[in-house]
Amino acid sequence: MDFSLTEDQVAFRDTVRTFLKDNLPDDIRDVTRGKGHLSKEQYKRWHGILAKQGWSTPLWPVKFGGTGWSPIEYAIFDEECHGHGAPRVLPFSVSMLGPVLIAFGNDEQKKRFLPGIQDGSDWWCQGFSEPGAGSDLASLKCAAVRDGDDYIINGQKTWTTLGQHADWIFCLVRTDPKASKPQTGISFVMVPMDADGVEVRPIIMLDGGHEVNEVWFTDVRIPATYLVGEENKGWNYAKFLLQNERIGIAGIGISKNELAGLKRLAAAEKKNGKPLIEDASFKAKIAEIEIELRALDITNKRMLVETGRGMDPGPVSSMLKIRGSEVAQRIYELKMEASGLYALPFQPHAGDSGWNDELIGSLTNAKSTPVYLNTRKISIFGGSNEIQRSIISKMVLGF
Amino acid sequence: MNFDYSEEQTMLVQSLERTLAKNYDFETYREQLAAKATHAPELWQSLAELGIMAMPLPESAGGFDGNHVDVMVVCTELGRRLVPEPYVSNVVIAAYIFEATGNGDKLEAIALGEIKYAAGFYEPGERHNALATNTVATANGDSYRLTGHKAVVLGADCADHLIISADLDGPSLFLLPANADGVTLRKYPLLDGRGAADVIMDGAQATLIGTAGGAGGIIEAAVDRAAAALCADTIGAAEEVKDLTQEYLRTRTQFGRPIGKFQVLAHRMVDLLVEFEQMKSIAMEAAVEARKADETTRQRAVSAAKAKIGAASRQFAQDAIQMHGGIGMTDEYALGAYVKRMLVNETLFGDTDYHLSRFANI
Repeated sequence: MDFSLTEDQVAFRDTVRTFLKDNLPDDIRDVTRGKGHLSKEQYKRWHGILAKQGWSTPLWPVKFGGTGWSPIEYAIFDEECHGHGAPRVLPFSVSMLGPVLIAFGNDEQKKRFLPGIQDGSDWWCQGFSEPGAGSDLASLKCAAVRDGDDYIINGQKTWTTLGQHADWIFCLVRTDPKASKPQTGISFVMVPMDADGVEVRPIIMLDGGHEVNEVWFTDVRIPATYLVGEENKGWNYAKFLLQNERIGIAGIGISKNELAGLKRLAAAEKKNGKPLIEDASFKAKIAEIEIELRALDITNKRMLVETGRGMDPGPVSSMLKIRGSEVAQRIYELKMEASGLYALPFQPHAGDSGWNDELIGSLTNAKSTPVYLNTRKISIFGGSNEIQRSIISKMVLGF
Repeated sequence: MNFDYSEEQTMLVQSLERTLAKNYDFETYREQLAAKATHAPELWQSLAELGIMAMPLPESAGGFDGNHVDVMVVCTELGRRLVPEPYVSNVVIAAYIFEATGNGDKLEAIALGEIKYAAGFYEPGERHNALATNTVATANGDSYRLTGHKAVVLGADCADHLIISADLDGPSLFLLPANADGVTLRKYPLLDGRGAADVIMDGAQATLIGTAGGAGGIIEAAVDRAAAALCADTIGAAEEVKDLTQEYLRTRTQFGRPIGKFQVLAHRMVDLLVEFEQMKSIAMEAAVEARKADETTRQRAVSAAKAKIGAASRQFAQDAIQMHGGIGMTDEYALGAYVKRMLVNETLFGDTDYHLSRFANI
């Protein structure tokens, strides 16, 4: 047992640091640090910079353009990125669709779609949830009906993150309404967002942001070559996709960075004429979450090493997601508390590029409540924490 | 970075498991507890023969030059089997103090399990302050006379000699026989069957070990090592609690089905699992850092672990009892013994509040 980084790991960390210092554009770093909303152009530019370095799809198999990093190296990369103010690379194409295409797509599809995912030229969004199918995802109704060499799609998807920017959407659709189990009548298809009959309607959330959308399909015709894998096997691919997310799911890099931000904020805020961070009760709150994060950092690395050796990744992803989301949410909550009265003025677009209004309070204060509200999502999306608990209990209790 | 026990450590666990399975099952524990026997000389000797006392000690003392992960390995098993023997008092605290004060010649007897020590730092009314020195030392020729009261000294029920902190131009350490004139030992078993005593000294003759007034850092380091060891002890106990509870949810039937089928219990069980992994992670970190020369690194790691494991193990115990229902409260079922073991570990060598506050202030 030894928790220190090896010489190679230290060298790797230095390489990542140098790369970030030399290549992360200031405007992107400023918006990320200020918790503003990145523009589509900014997301794509950063994705392109990573791609040029060969780091946009680190977890893919090496022969498809992965980096071959160990879980520890990936954790180092993740922490350095967040520490330097690099934005997250959106997971939809890189972490979700890419691995599914690599595992289940045909050669034609790999050739056609993987390069656009890797260099970020194609923007993908995810079409899983529906108004009537949230935690019970398998009850989804959006249907694809075979018509010669095409499918015709009708129905609605929802909570589609950044769908307003997307070129493509990958969807779970019902192809066999008479299947014996709802799970066995579902297929995995890819749909161009500019196809006739696709309509995107914004959903504005509590933080005032336009992050998610409804996507409506009315007689949308796609060629059958956009089906991934076999018809009616889509549920298996979706399960594979969700398990695949385990690396990075605990959000250690982002939480460490947010914790450092919380400490800076608490040092800047005053209580009874002294820095808030010197207040015994607030200090204890920070200490508790810092300790929890310390433990999670080790749990995360330990578990990733174990899954690399063959431990079942399913319950591991669930466990890391549950505790990772709880830790992150607590930090955001404390940032809002630390902001005191200046958590209250509602300035949802503060920090966005091009935002020029007069700021009330500090930018950290201004963003604290919108971010707190926004991040309530992390214990809901990708399978709510209750669904994750059910997954684990099934595995451990065998029910 | 690696999170594994070494081959030697894995073998040590296995031989310790075998020995304890043979010599110290739950029935033996209960019989010993009923007889208020806090120490069993034969068991202590068989543990010494396994080499678990020698393992973390320096080679010069007949040890294997081990580290605190070795201590973690042993303490996890002792917690898992509810062993009351004074391993931490001797191999962790006394051995370190002798090493740090230039008394390495005393280590061999510890490695062999021949002589037993107990160290008293804490005092009534001083809560978790290990540097409390209302006990005073006055010079008497070449030796000193100690007067004062040490509270809940772990292992003092069966120790041959006592190590006592007292004020002599600052915190200083003294050694004296447990049966010295002027020493009164009020011996008792703790909640979980481990033994301790209040030590009351009235002019008891003692020898100074180390430098006068200069023992503060040594005491703090000794306490940190002990705290890290008890974190590991709790991991062993908590793992048993987790397994017992899991099995109970699987087999206990109510309303026509195993109660683990009820989501409200299944989810609560999952929270125990997650919490267990978190406790284990932070205990590992404490073991890795407990002997670090850098004081801040050591103190932060140990306090993080002690605070986290203290709070988590209390919740763990409460949830496990609740999920068991009445059976979890009965004396003959093992759960309660683990609950008590964890409570003792939680409070000794700095409780949750103490360590949380220390972590926050470093």
